[in-house]
Amino acid sequence: MLIALTCILTILTYQSFVKLQAKLNKVWLNPMLLTILFLILGLYNFQIDYEFYDNNTEPLNFLLELSVVTLGFPLYQQLHAMKKQWKVIVLLLILASLLAIISSFALTWIIISQQEIAISLSLKSITTPIAIAITEQLNGNIAVTAFTIIIAGLFGAIWGIKWLTLLGVNSANAQGLAIGTASHALGTATISQISYQHAAYSSLALILSASVTAIIGPVLIPIMINLIGG
Amino acid sequence: MTKIIKHQWINIAYAIVSLLICLGLGYGISAITGGLPPSLYGMAILTLSLQLKWISAERISVFTTWAIRHMGVCFVPAGVGIIEHKQLIQQHGLAIVAITFVTTFLVLTFVGLIYQKHEEKSQTKPTNNDTSRHS
Repeated sequence: MLIALTCILTILTYQSFVKLQAKLNKVWLNPMLLTILFLILGLYNFQIDYEFYDNNTEPLNFLLELSVVTLGFPLYQQLHAMKKQWKVIVLLLILASLLAIISSFALTWIIISQQEIAISLSLKSITTPIAIAITEQLNGNIAVTAFTIIIAGLFGAIWGIKWLTLLGVNSANAQGLAIGTASHALGTATISQISYQHAAYSSLALILSASVTAIIGPVLIPIMINLIGG
Repeated sequence: MTKIIKHQWINIAYAIVSLLICLGLGYGISAITGGLPPSLYGMAILTLSLQLKWISAERISVFTTWAIRHMGVCFVPAGVGIIEHKQLIQQHGLAIVAITFVTTFLVLTFVGLIYQKHEEKSQTKPTNNDTSRHS
């Protein structure tokens, strides 16, 4: 009963913000972000533990997994067009994953100078389960990893398309690849509403960048730790 | 009319069962081989099953389109989890958010610009005229 109530409340809040955004037509009125902020304020106000909320929204977590599977559909629809670009896409995503890891690690080391935070931030562009596993393996900080994954996802989801359009990147395929690489499933979920091409290319980037990072992360990050003398 | 509605419900059930099977298989593969999380294996299995015509794309199209349009709500509980990291946010919050901001946009820019350049280049090549591009 409590589970149903918490889930329905979450869905209703989200739907209200979807309606609000449709009415006012503003990108920054992102329903996901507003629902998160609204519920955080609600939990604070009524002094409810996050654990209580999390336990009672378990069905939504299951639906999240199922909805990631549905992204296989747009991926299938674009597979034919993608086949010809296969090599370029893989090469580009390997380079992009290297860039994501190295730039985040270096910048964090320069600004915060804490090894465990640098490890966590270098994994923030990929999907949570893989990032957490690698963070544990390399003795990073799991809380930082989890936190920054959400922030990176929200940035791409809210401003990704706007930023790319500003740069003159109007191709749906390029926008999809970029957001899937930088902002994982959260960014993918948001832009998948725009077109099948966005959904397909973002889903492909999501899978590939997660796979590439899972392979190179555990090798590259220890090398960088050695370089900084850790 | 009622026949069409009944047909739609059958297709929705078909789509849900297909997705559940893909996710279930994803769990199986993830348990055996590790590596990617179950849902990403499930996504790859769905793509493969559609390609091999084990699952009918036509029958799952309406449901998956609807599900993709609404999947954002499923990320809300994880997002609310930020509340758990209050201490961390107080300590390094601003720096962490700033670094995440800069590096996320760096990756977006890198991938977006290069792939668009590549597309423009391959479109101007006369040998690469692909009709599927316009579908």
